[in-house]
Order: sequence, then structure tokens, then C-alpha cells
Amino acid sequence: MEFPAALFPSYFSTGPPREEGGPAPASGWGELGQVLEAGLGRRQAETFVPRRGGTGESWEPADAAAVPFLPPNAGSWIPSLLPQDILCRGIAHWKSRAGKSEAALDFSRQLGHFFVDHPEDAFGSLGQLLHKNFYLGNSKLRRPARESTIRMTALMEDIDRLEARRGCPRQRLVYRLRWFSHLCRDWLFEVPLGLLADCVHEELLLQWTSLLFDDIPTGGALAWLPPEDTGARMGRLVYPRGQAMNHLCILPSEVSWGGKGSRVALPLTGTPDFQDVVVEELPHARGSPAQFELNGRIRQVAAARVDGEDFVGVRSDYHCGVWKVPARMGAAPIPLQVIRTSVPASCLTVSPHLPGELSVCTQSGAVYLWSVETGLQRLRHDTQTMFFRDHSAWRWSDFTAHPRVLSCADRTGLQCLDSRAPERCHFDLFKVGEEGGCQQGERVVLPMYLGRAHPSQHLITTQFSVYVMDERLPLVPMLKWAHMMKAPPIFAHLTPGGPGRSHKVLLGTSRTQEMLLLQYRGEKQGGSQSACQLAGPPQKLHSITSCLQHLPTQLPHRHRLLQQRLSVPAAGLAAALQEDGPQESLLVFQLSEAGDVFCQRLTHRAAQAPAPTLGDEPCCPALPSPATALRYRRWLKALSKHWRPPTQQAWPPTLSQNRLFTRKELETPVSPSALHQQARQRLRQAMREGGRIQHWDTPAPQPLALPQPLEPVGRLDPLSARLTAAWSGDWGQWWEERTSFSVAQKQRALRERRRRQKRARGPRSLSASFTSSLTYQSELSELSDTAPVPCSPGCPTAVLPREGSPVGSSPPASPAPEEPLLSSQSLLCRGIPKERQKTLRDYLAVEEEDPPEPPEPPGSQLSQLCIPSSQSQLSSASQPRRKRPRMGF
Amino acid sequence: SSREHKLNFKKSKEVCLSYIQDAMLQKQWKRAAEFLTFYVESLEKDYSREYMGPSEIIWRIGTEILCHHSQSSMKEFNSFMEQMKTLGVKRYLKVCLEHTFRLLCNGLIDEAYQNLSLAESWRYGEQTAIQDKEMKLIQAYRGLLDYYSWSKQKNILLENSQDGFEDLSVEQEMHSCFRKAAVNLKEIIKIPGVWDQFVKCYVDLLEFYGDHNEARQVLNEYAYNSKFPANPNAHVYLYQFLKRHGESKKSLISALKILHDIAPSHELMIDFNTMLQKSKKRKKRRLGLEVIFAALDYAGWKENVKAWSCLARQVKQIVISEKHLDWIKVEWNSRKDWWPAFHFSRYLAKRNWQENESLSYEKALVAGILLGK
Repeated sequence: MEFPAALFPSYFSTGPPREEGGPAPASGWGELGQVLEAGLGRRQAETFVPRRGGTGESWEPADAAAVPFLPPNAGSWIPSLLPQDILCRGIAHWKSRAGKSEAALDFSRQLGHFFVDHPEDAFGSLGQLLHKNFYLGNSKLRRPARESTIRMTALMEDIDRLEARRGCPRQRLVYRLRWFSHLCRDWLFEVPLGLLADCVHEELLLQWTSLLFDDIPTGGALAWLPPEDTGARMGRLVYPRGQAMNHLCILPSEVSWGGKGSRVALPLTGTPDFQDVVVEELPHARGSPAQFELNGRIRQVAAARVDGEDFVGVRSDYHCGVWKVPARMGAAPIPLQVIRTSVPASCLTVSPHLPGELSVCTQSGAVYLWSVETGLQRLRHDTQTMFFRDHSAWRWSDFTAHPRVLSCADRTGLQCLDSRAPERCHFDLFKVGEEGGCQQGERVVLPMYLGRAHPSQHLITTQFSVYVMDERLPLVPMLKWAHMMKAPPIFAHLTPGGPGRSHKVLLGTSRTQEMLLLQYRGEKQGGSQSACQLAGPPQKLHSITSCLQHLPTQLPHRHRLLQQRLSVPAAGLAAALQEDGPQESLLVFQLSEAGDVFCQRLTHRAAQAPAPTLGDEPCCPALPSPATALRYRRWLKALSKHWRPPTQQAWPPTLSQNRLFTRKELETPVSPSALHQQARQRLRQAMREGGRIQHWDTPAPQPLALPQPLEPVGRLDPLSARLTAAWSGDWGQWWEERTSFSVAQKQRALRERRRRQKRARGPRSLSASFTSSLTYQSELSELSDTAPVPCSPGCPTAVLPREGSPVGSSPPASPAPEEPLLSSQSLLCRGIPKERQKTLRDYLAVEEEDPPEPPEPPGSQLSQLCIPSSQSQLSSASQPRRKRPRMGF
Repeated sequence: SSREHKLNFKKSKEVCLSYIQDAMLQKQWKRAAEFLTFYVESLEKDYSREYMGPSEIIWRIGTEILCHHSQSSMKEFNSFMEQMKTLGVKRYLKVCLEHTFRLLCNGLIDEAYQNLSLAESWRYGEQTAIQDKEMKLIQAYRGLLDYYSWSKQKNILLENSQDGFEDLSVEQEMHSCFRKAAVNLKEIIKIPGVWDQFVKCYVDLLEFYGDHNEARQVLNEYAYNSKFPANPNAHVYLYQFLKRHGESKKSLISALKILHDIAPSHELMIDFNTMLQKSKKRKKRRLGLEVIFAALDYAGWKENVKAWSCLARQVKQIVISEKHLDWIKVEWNSRKDWWPAFHFSRYLAKRNWQENESLSYEKALVAGILLGK
């Protein structure tokens, strides 16, 4: 091939890039770069051609947005990780420093998630050993338990508080937490905490970097196999499919909907004994398979045509396979070979020169020439990058104009290696540095051999620019242009133009779904090859998301789902040139990570054609055509079938208390402690009187410390008795006495009433009545001995009734009707002193008029719920109990 | 609130810019122009210390829009450029250079020349390294334009002398053009870079005035200075110069040998091969075989009839003379595992036969000899 007679002028210097900067918004516009005399050598014609900004061909979009090409990919698609998931407080904190962005990763939250989600892995053995010693209840610990048990509730509360005050500038250290973490940091965790933290942090960083830029799908998983005869309308599209994107589909393009072939599984056996990669033979596929099930997500599909046959290379993380697709339409693709790698492969390219030759790179820095016939040949193994140190393990390799020379790339540049003597024969094709006029921080993103346009040209994309390099003049870009894309272009596709035509290059990004159409020229003019020129302004193509506005209106939640589905990162692009008589059109396919394939058509407007009346600006139709609209509807219908039927979520959410509390927790203890009774009693009384409880806790021991000699209580009316007591200063005690007295009275009254009822029911045995009367007597007598009923140590000292309320008339809080059975039975054996019998009789008379005991207030059940099982075990559970009705919450 | 104001301003500026960008990428130049008129406001409150400020963005976008807008004219473009030149001191030279390119591409050579002269006389403080480079380029392009006017005068003079009368003023002007061109062109080609058109013009000037030594030196420097990139054209120019001046075969061969080393797929390899084949020396003939084999390794030569006939001729010669069959063997050994699939596949044989019969004959001959062994 001829070399251009003169190249565009440019400076050449070596060394690291000096130009600072970053992604500049408009850097690709307005510059012509350099000019070159077009007819150099001819006499008078002094016409100059620019390096950039020449006229290109006009390709106009035929539709308002991208159109679904295939029915939606089946299977529930899992939304990918979002920045909010791993960043602090869900907000990206960008500290832009010298073009580097740093984010505050929420490390502690992730570690916390790990402890909560995998407690067995985090604390397995020690948790089992210690679970008896950690107590999570609210109540106080009893003596024997306290010796060996820590109450964790306060610690938990501290943690909650810490969480609530997160980000508060006045946040103080919680000493209890610090103390606890210091104490058990070294032994509590199953995996040493430092090690675990390192792993979590590493994983977080990994996830974050892959969120910023994921290089695994580099190259794209979509390929177009053009028909042998360019006029034919048939071709094949190769794309991944299925829930895990692990079905390789090779679809003749005239079949647009449905049409599945039989599945052929490719079993892979054996383990690699080769250092990195091993070759395995494949069984032949029977029948005519159009779909192959692979055991890994398809990351890249590469294709090249040699001698009229297409070779399709498929890369997944640990396997690479190659298929041969005969030129004849309808002929079955033939699987040729699969290799397994021990390190994920980062690149697979197919030779355009020799059948069955591919190049494979792995993340360990190895580059292989893979021939189906002779196997693998390792050309290079270097974990270091070529020109300067870069942490990325990404490697790429492609073919060059010489079938035995391969280009080898990492983030720092490209080298060409002769596979016959890879150690000795190599030269640098591209370096990130002053040689290419690069910026600081610029990195190679995707190299591509442009052999179909020109045998010695290569395309190199970085996050800022695209370069066209020529092997014959290495290091000096033939063309450079700042592409201004929002994400690094990791997909590229070349549609070579014929003589007199421009070559079309499509660049695509993953995360932002951008697609850009560039045209460049390197044609022959006047007998000599002219230098490379960028032709025409770049053109943006429709992304998959663009069709959202043209889809039928959806319910809001459906709309959101649809939006999510359509805005997933792109996974590949391909293009097909169709010539239909004089009309040329370019079909551009875009694949999303969810497995959907969309396409759009660009039609070529020849220069001679009359310009449309509305000026020279291409007008993209604002609305989809009816046929397209139908396609949208059908696609949406098919998609909604995949969405889970809503019947499962249709019922309103119900909450059963069964789920909230265990049966055991809901059970009332057989015999509540005295403390309980006391508490319940006081609560009830306070409620009835509308009063309040002042001291809930154990009283100060002082009032009880000096028991005063009991004065004989005369027949004082309640008021004077009370006043007397108040005068003498022990009003509290008086009240105590009084309440306990009335409690006992009431109990007795109750019992009396029951006795009467029994009697009314039928004849009773004399002995029974006798016994009961006897006990009744003894009970009363005992009460007289010790004035206040000795209640539990936590007996309240002062329960103040509301001012002015008649003390006598307000019946004191009565114990629950069932519970007193126990205590009353014990009371039965107590006698009643004679002098109090009248009071009793009076009282009983009052009681008879009283309404029956109201049912137990629901509050009591609540109070019992809080009783930990350990306490209920303490109380004797031997007594038979009646089941309580469950009260609704 | 001034901070907030700044933030809001920045945000709306960014949004506006993204609208412009979007319109431009869809070739909606009129819409982009409308948005740009709003964006110009950002110049008034330029708080940014960013890598690319709004004035540069306006220059770039404005230029691009004016180039594609259906209603723009060169006059408007020029006045826009003049305004842009005053916007930033640092960018003055760059804008001048780009303006010149635009004028040159539109065939406005005189305006471009004026523009360059004006830019050359511009001084502002100390020049940065980039400005220094831009200034050198401005001078070089002025030298190039001087060369064109020189060559115009030369043609007039040559026509006149054929007619039999001399014009002193034309001749004087021509010489002054030469001096101006030579000074500027000489400067730029000292700096490492790709200066194909400047070198060609400078050598042309020198050759016209008979300064062959200087010309040879310039070409040698351009080809062999290790600070320059390995530009095949540098070697081609040297070879052509040597050929023009009837240099010895030896020096021609050595020039092409180096070209062969840096670009074995260069089209001059056919000339090189023919030259070597004719040589009496065995070593040279062997090199010729190597050269043609190496050239045919490249995909771009696959269907080159000339190259195949060169190879066929030489291989035939060797086989007929039955001398140096080992040369073929050595060459073939490193290729026998892939040339058959690369060049001699059934598919290619069929296609070559359909498309180019003579190519088929040559290839068939070579294949017969090589594969027969």
C-alpha cells in the first residue's frame, strides 16, 4: 500500500505528557489542526485541505429513536449496583484534585451489613460460646446471672444513638462503646477484624472502580457478520441472550422475531495443566444450532472474515471459544475449540488474515496467539505495564498488517510483537506521552485494527481522544480528535468506505450508552495516497434510552421499571451497511447489559441529491412511524409478560402478632411475682383516679428503716385518721396501711360474694362451708397482727390520690380476678380479729352494691410481655392456669 | 448568597453548554447558535479557573457553528475571529493560526498571508513553550506562502524568458520571496517533527539555486536525526533527491535499505527489488529476495501483481539456474506454516482467477515452486 506523499505537519517530542487538563467540554470543536496543500507538486493550484473539519457524508437518522430489534431478553434482570449503595450517606462526595475524583465510601456500613447478614461467618464459634453471657433484655439481671452475664441493651442503645447522630459535628465519643470494642476487638471475631476490614475495603474499592469504569465488556458482545455479497439483504447478528447472558445466538438478520434453534451445551472438562490457558476439544454440535448455551456470561464477541468464512470468538471470564460460520446462509455455525483460562481473559480478537487464528490476553499480563490447529503460543508475559507503571491489569491485543505481528496493548500504550521472535522483534506503536500529544492521566481504552479500511492503520481510543495510527510511522498519530464523550468509549466499529468514500467509525460507551459516528478519509487522490483527515462533524446516534419517550404511557411504577431497564449500560454495538440500489443505509445495533438489542437506521444522502426545503439541517423525525410504534407496543407487551405477575403483591399487607412475638412471649407467666402484682395494682389505681405515679423505682429505704410503734387505731373516721397521721408526719404510712387494708378488705369481699354465689347455686356440704368460714376467720385475725400487708421490697411508698377525692369511696386497685386465687388462698388460712369484723361487715355491705369486677385491662398483658422468660421460670409454674383471651393490638 | 448565585450560574451555564453540545452533535446548527447567544453571557461573569474557560469554549463552538451554519459568510467568520483574538491573550496565536487555516482552505491566500504577518509581529510578555511552538508554526506557514509566491514568480519568469524578455522587478521580488521563505522554513525543520511539506519546499528552493549540498544535508538530517520520528517520507525524499541527481546505485540502495528496515511494506520496495535483482553481487540479489518476500508478508500486498511478478521472476531465475536454492528454502521455512493459508488457499485461488487472471498466473507459478518443494 502506498504511503501518503506528504503528511500533515506536527511537532514531535518524547517524554511524559506535559499538558495538564481533563475532559474539556468543547475540546473537539472548531479546530482544523493543520493544513496541507492538496495538490502538492502540481503547479498553480494552491488549495489546502484541513486535517479536521473537512466535508463528510451526510447520514440521517430515519427514525425518531432506537427501535427494538429483538423481543426483550427473558428472565428477571437484576438492577446493577448504584453509587448510592456504597457511598457515604448515599451522596457522592467528589473531591476533585488534579483531575482525580475521590469518593467517600461507606466502609462501616458495609462491614455492618456483613455482620448482620452473615453472623455465623462473623462470630460463629465465639457467638455460640458466649451467647449465654450476653443478655439482650430490658430488665435488670438477677444476682446469680449477673455474675456471668453482660447486659447488652444499653450498648445497643448507644449504638442506635450513634447512628442517629451520624454526621453531627457535636458527636461525642461513647466511652462504653469504646471500652467494649477495645475489650473484645481481638477475640470476638471469627475472622480477625483487621483482615476482614481489609477485604471489605478492597472489595468496596473494586466495586467503586468498576462503577466508575468497567473494562470487562471492552470490545462489546455484539457482532455483525455481513453477507458475502454486499448487495444481499441477509446477514447474521451474533449476540448473547438469556438470564445470565450466557446463550450465544447467531441470528440471520431477516428473522426479526422469534426463531430459536436447538440448544447445544458445550461441556468443559479437565483442568488446565498449561500455565495459564489450556486447549480443549469440543464435541460437534448436531443439527443446525443457532443458539449455544455456555457456562459463563458472554463478555465479548469478536468476528472476522477470512476466505469467505466468518470466525466468531466469544470471551467469557474464564473461557474463550471460537466458532466457524460458513458463508452459506442457513448453514450451521460450527464450534471449533474452547480454552479455559485460570485468570480472567481481558481480550479476544480474531485474525482477519488466517483462518482459525485468534489472540487472547489475560489479566495476568499474558498475550497468546491462539491457533485452532496448533494451539496456544505465549508471546509475552509481563505483569508490569509497558511504558510506565499503571495499576490496571487490563491487556489487549489485536492483529496488524503482518499476519505474524500482533499488537499488544495495556493502559500505557501499544507495542507490536513478531510472534516468530516476540522477545527480539517488537516496536512501539503508541505511547501515552508527548509523542502522541496526550494529556496527563490519559489512558488507552480500546485499540482496534482498521485493516478493512487500510491495512496498516489502527484506531486507539482513550478517555479523551481518538487516534488513528499507522504502523509504518509509529508513535506519530495520523489523526487525533477529542471525542468529548462522557464516558470512555470501549466499543468501536468500522464500516469501511469504498474508493472516494469516507470510512465510518462508530464509538460507543457503556455506562452512558453514547454512540458517536465519525468519518475519516485516507483515500487516493491524484495517484498518491493522501494523509488521513477527519471528515465532517461527528454525529450522535440514538441511545436505547431515547425510545422511552416514544413508548406508550405506563403506570408510574411500570414507567420506573421501564426506565431502569432501558438505561442499563450498553454492552456492545455493531453496524451493517445495506445497499438497496442507489439508496444506502447503515443499520446500527446496540446491545444493553440486560440483553436487549435495539437498532436504528441511518440513510445516506448523496451530495448530488437536492437538499430538503427546510434548509440544510438534517431533520430527524420527531415521532416514530406507525410501524415503529407498533414495534414499541409489541416489545412492551412482551416485556410486561416477563415482569412478575402482580397478583402476588396485590393483597394489602397484613401484620399478625404471631409473627411479632413468639407464643412463649405472649403467654402470661403462671404466677407473676409480687413486684408485678404491685406494679399492676398501682398502675390500675393511678389510672382509675387519674393520678400519677411519682416514684416507680425502689423507694429510699429510709421510711421503712424506722418502723414506728403501731398505735392502737381507734374508731376514727377516715378523714380525722388521715389528718392525725398527717399531723404526726407519717401520712405516707397511714396511706400505706389504709390501702393495704382496703385491698385485703376487698379481697375478702370478693371471696364472700363468691361464697354467696356458690351457696345460691345449690346445696353445699357443711364441711366445705365450715372450712371456708374458718379460713375466713383466720385470715382476718392475721391481718390485724401486722398492719400493712408486707408487700415486696419494691413497695411504693406514696401513691397520691387526686386531691379531694373521697378515699373511702374509691375502691383501691384490685388484683386481677384470677391471680388473687393464689394469694387469697394463702390468706384463707389467716384469721380476722374481732375488732375489725364490723368494718368488714360494713365494707362487705358496700361491696355488694359494687358492680362486678371489670375485666383485666389490656395493659396488664403488655406488662407481662416484657417479662423475660428467665423470670417467669423463677416463679413457680406448677399452678394450673387458665388461658387468657388474646387482646388485639 | 453570592456563593449560591455563583453555583446557580455555574449550573445553568453547564446545562446551556450541554444543550449546545447536543444540538451540534445532531447537526442542528441553528439551534446551537441560538443557545450560544445565551451562553455568551457566561463571559461576563467568568469565575472559572478551569482548564478550558468559557472564552475558549465560545471560540471553538462559535467557529464550528459558523462553518456549518447555512447562513454564515466568510465576512461574519472573520469578524467573529477578530473578536475571539481579543478575548484571550494566551490563545491569540492559536486563534490566528486556526483563522489562517480556515482562510487557506477557502482559497483566500492573500488574507491568510496578512493574517500570518500580523500574528508574527504580535508580542505579549514572555512566551510560553506552547506559544513558542505556535509562533514557529506561524512563521513556517508564512514561509510556505512565501514559497508559493516565489514559485509563482518563478513560473512567470520562466515563461517570460521563453518569450525572450526579462523583468528585473519580478526577479527581485522572487529573490526576496526566496529569502523570506528560506529563513522561516529552515527554522522549523530544525525542530523534531513531521515537516514533509516544509522540507519539500525548502529543498525545492535550494535545488533551484543550486545549493545541493545544503539540500542533501537537510534531507539527511530529516531522515537520519534520531530525534525525529521514523518517517518513511524522509527516506523517500532523500531517495528521490539522490535519484534526481544521478547518485550511485550504492547510495540509492543504502537509502532504500533503511526504508526497508523501517517500513518493509513501502511501495518503493518494488523499485528496490528490481534494483537489487539487477545487481551482480550475490549478496544484493539475496537481499532482493528477502525484500520481496517481506513485502508480500503484508496484507496490503496480497493482490499486488507487480510484487508477485517480481517474486515469480526471481524465484524462477533461481530455480532455473539451480543456484542458491537454499535462499528460497530459508525464506520459505519461516513462512511455510502460514503462507499457504494466507496466499494460496482454495478460496483465494478461485477469487483471484475471477478477478485478476495475471495475478493468478504469477501466484500459481510461485505456489507451484514453493509448495512443490
